[in-house]
Amino acid sequence: MSQPLQQRTQFDPGSSLQVPERKRGLATEIWKHRKQYLAISPFYILFAVFGLFPILFSMYLSFQKWDGIGVMTFNGVNNYQFMVTDPEFWKAVGNTLLIWIYSTIPMLFFALIIAFLLNASFVRFRTFFRIGYFLPNVTSLVAVAIVFSTVFSNNYGLLNYILSQFGADPVEWLNKTWGIQLAVSIMVIWRWVGYNAIIYLAGLQSIPTVLYEAAKIDGATGIQSFFRITIPNLRPIILFTVITSTIGGMQIFTEPQVLVGNDGGVSGGGLTIVLYLYREAFVNNYFGYGSAVGWGMFILIALISLINWRVVQGGGAKDE
Amino acid sequence: MTKYRALSMCLLLLVFMVTGCSSGSSSNSKVKTLTLWYWNRSLDDNLINEVQKQFPGIRINAQKIGGDFKSKLKTTLAAGGGGPDIVAFNDWVTELFPSADRFYNLYDLGAKDIEKDYLDWKWQLGVTPKGEMIAMPIDTGPTALFYRADLFKQAGLPTDPEEVHRMMGTWEDYFAAGEKLQKALGGKVKLLDNIGQVYNQINSQSDKVYFDKNENFIGEDPSSSMKKAWDLAVKASQMNLLANAGTFSTEWNAAMNNGKIASFVGAVWSKQILMDAAPDTTGKWRVARAPGGDGNNGGSFLAIMKTSKYPKESFEVMKWLLNPDNQETSFKTLNLFPSATKALDSDAMKNKEEFFGGQATGEIFTESARNVKPSYFGTKYSNLNGIVNRELSSVALEGKNPDKAWKDALARVKKELLR
Repeated sequence: MSQPLQQRTQFDPGSSLQVPERKRGLATEIWKHRKQYLAISPFYILFAVFGLFPILFSMYLSFQKWDGIGVMTFNGVNNYQFMVTDPEFWKAVGNTLLIWIYSTIPMLFFALIIAFLLNASFVRFRTFFRIGYFLPNVTSLVAVAIVFSTVFSNNYGLLNYILSQFGADPVEWLNKTWGIQLAVSIMVIWRWVGYNAIIYLAGLQSIPTVLYEAAKIDGATGIQSFFRITIPNLRPIILFTVITSTIGGMQIFTEPQVLVGNDGGVSGGGLTIVLYLYREAFVNNYFGYGSAVGWGMFILIALISLINWRVVQGGGAKDE
Repeated sequence: MTKYRALSMCLLLLVFMVTGCSSGSSSNSKVKTLTLWYWNRSLDDNLINEVQKQFPGIRINAQKIGGDFKSKLKTTLAAGGGGPDIVAFNDWVTELFPSADRFYNLYDLGAKDIEKDYLDWKWQLGVTPKGEMIAMPIDTGPTALFYRADLFKQAGLPTDPEEVHRMMGTWEDYFAAGEKLQKALGGKVKLLDNIGQVYNQINSQSDKVYFDKNENFIGEDPSSSMKKAWDLAVKASQMNLLANAGTFSTEWNAAMNNGKIASFVGAVWSKQILMDAAPDTTGKWRVARAPGGDGNNGGSFLAIMKTSKYPKESFEVMKWLLNPDNQETSFKTLNLFPSATKALDSDAMKNKEEFFGGQATGEIFTESARNVKPSYFGTKYSNLNGIVNRELSSVALEGKNPDKAWKDALARVKKELLR
C-alpha cells in the first residue's frame, strides 16, 4: 500500500497549484475529444437507461408502497421492517444458502477434478470432452428445469423408475423440502460444472511447468505437487469461481420456479430469495416491498462475498 | 459534415431503440380502430373477425397477449397511456377494483339494460363495492364432481349421476364413500387429487370467505367458510383420501390416465384438460353435482380502458361479442361456458359426450352455473389464499400439526392485512 502512495507524491509535488488549471483543462479536453466520447456514449446511455436508472428507482421504490398501478405512497422503513420480521423471508434466505452450499461445494470440487483430468497428458480426445462438459451451460434453463421435473417426478419419474427396478419404494422427491433442494442443486451442478472446469483448466495451463519439474526433482509425489503447487497457484481462480457462483447461487430463480412453481413447492422448500421477491412483487403486487427485498439481497450478497474473499484470500496469506 | 450526419443518425437510431420506437398509426378519420387485448382461447377469433362486418366503420386490432397477461396489463396501466381500448380480465378482476377509475364504468354506457340477460353472481363479480361496473362477463367456470363410474361400480357405489349426488350430497358423505371405495379397491386408488383443491372448492361454494364488501377480514367469523373448508381439507388428508398430486401437474395427468384417482371436484373447463391428460380412460368418467353445493372457478371478463377514445363503440362491440347467441357459438367452438342465461338453455348443452360415456355433462354444469352463490372476493383474495394453501400443503405432505398450521396461517394472514 505504501509504495504507490509515495510514487504519487513524487510525481505530484505542487498539486494544490495545479488543480484549478487542470479542472478547466478537463472540460476542454472533453470538448476536444467529443467525437471519441460520442463514440463510446451508446454504452453509457444504455447503461444509464437500463442499469443506473432501475437501480436508483428501486432504491426510491423500496421506501414506497405501490401496487404497480395506483398511486405510490411513502412507506418509510416499513418495507424493510416487514422484511426482517417476515419468517418467509428468512426461510427464503435459509433455502438459498442451503441450495448454494449443496450446489457450490460439489460443483467446484468436481470442476477441479475434471479440469485436472482434462489437463492431464493421458486423456485423449480432450477437445471433445471440453466441449462436452461445457455444453450444458448453453442449454435453455427452462427446458432443463422441465426435463429435471420429469426425472424427479413423484410417482412416474425416471429416478423412481430406477429405484423401483431395484425393488426400492418410490420417493416423493418434489413433495419434500430436501428433495426439492436436492433437485435444484443437481440442476445447478449439472449446468455449471463444465463452465467452472474450463476456467480452472485455463488456470492450470498458466502454471509454469518448471514448478512441477523442480518438485519432481526434489522428489515430490503427484499428490504433494497438487496441494503444494496447483492449489496455491489456482487460488485467485478459485476465488473468482467462488465469488461468481456465490452471486449466481444467491440469485437462483428459474430452476425452482419451473420445477415447483411460484410458491416454492411444499412448505416452500424451493422458495429462494429471488423467487420470494418475484412472488411478492409480481404475484402479490407489492412492488415497493419487492424492491426492498432486492436491496436486502444486495447486502446479503455483498456480505457473503466479503466472507468468501476473507476465507479464500486470508488462508493464502497464512500459507505463503 | 457527412461525418456529423452519420453520427447523429447513429444517435437517432439509438434513441429510437431506447424509446421502443412507438409506431404512430395514422388512423383514417372515418375508420375507428379499436385495439383489443386478449389471450389465446379467451375469445373466439372468428367472432372477432366478424366484428368488422357487423360494425362498418370499426376496425378491430386484436392482439393476443402471450405470457403473463396480468403483469403486462399492469405494466401498461402503470405507464399511463398507450394501452388497448378493450381488455380481457381473468378472475383476478377484484385486484383491479382499487384502480376502478382507470376503466370506464359500464353502467354509464348502458350496461344496466342487458344486466338481466346474464347470471347475476357472475355479473356482480365485475361490479365494485361502490357500484361501478368495470368488467363484463365472458365465460363462467361452474364446478361439479368428476368421477370414474367404473371404479365407483367396482366399489359398490352408485354410478348414476343423480344417485351419486344423492348419496354424496355433503363433503362428509363424500369422504365416507371415498373410504369405502379405497378399501374396496385395495388402497391402490385415491378418492381425491390434493388438499388445496378440497379447500378451494369448498370456499368456491360459499358466499363468504375472506372479506366482506368493506374489505374487512371475516375469516374468523362463523359465517365464513374459511375454517370449515380448512377442517374438511385436513380431515380428507387425515382419512388418507388424497393422492397428493398437484392440480393439472404432469403428476396429476399421469395419475388420471392410470386410474390412480377416482374423482375430483373441478370446473367445467377442467373437462378439456382431463380429456387431454387421460385419453385411456375415455368413456369411464361421469359428472355429477358437487358435494357441498355448486361453485365457480375462474371465468373471464372484458373491460374498457379510460384511455380509450371510443368508449361507446367499444361497449357496442363488447355487447355484441358477448351476446347470448355469440356465447353459444363460443361454447361450441372453444368450450367457453356461457354467462348469459339464454345461452345456458341452448341445445348445445344437451350434446352427449363420448368421453363421459354418452352423458350430456352440459346439463349438470348448467344447473351448477345457475346455483352459484354471489360472493365478494376482496382485493387481497389471492394473497390470503396462497398463504392458507401453503400451510395446508405442509399439513398434507410434511405432516405439520394442523392446529399449529392453522395458527401460523392466521398469524401470517393478519400480518398480510396490515401491509
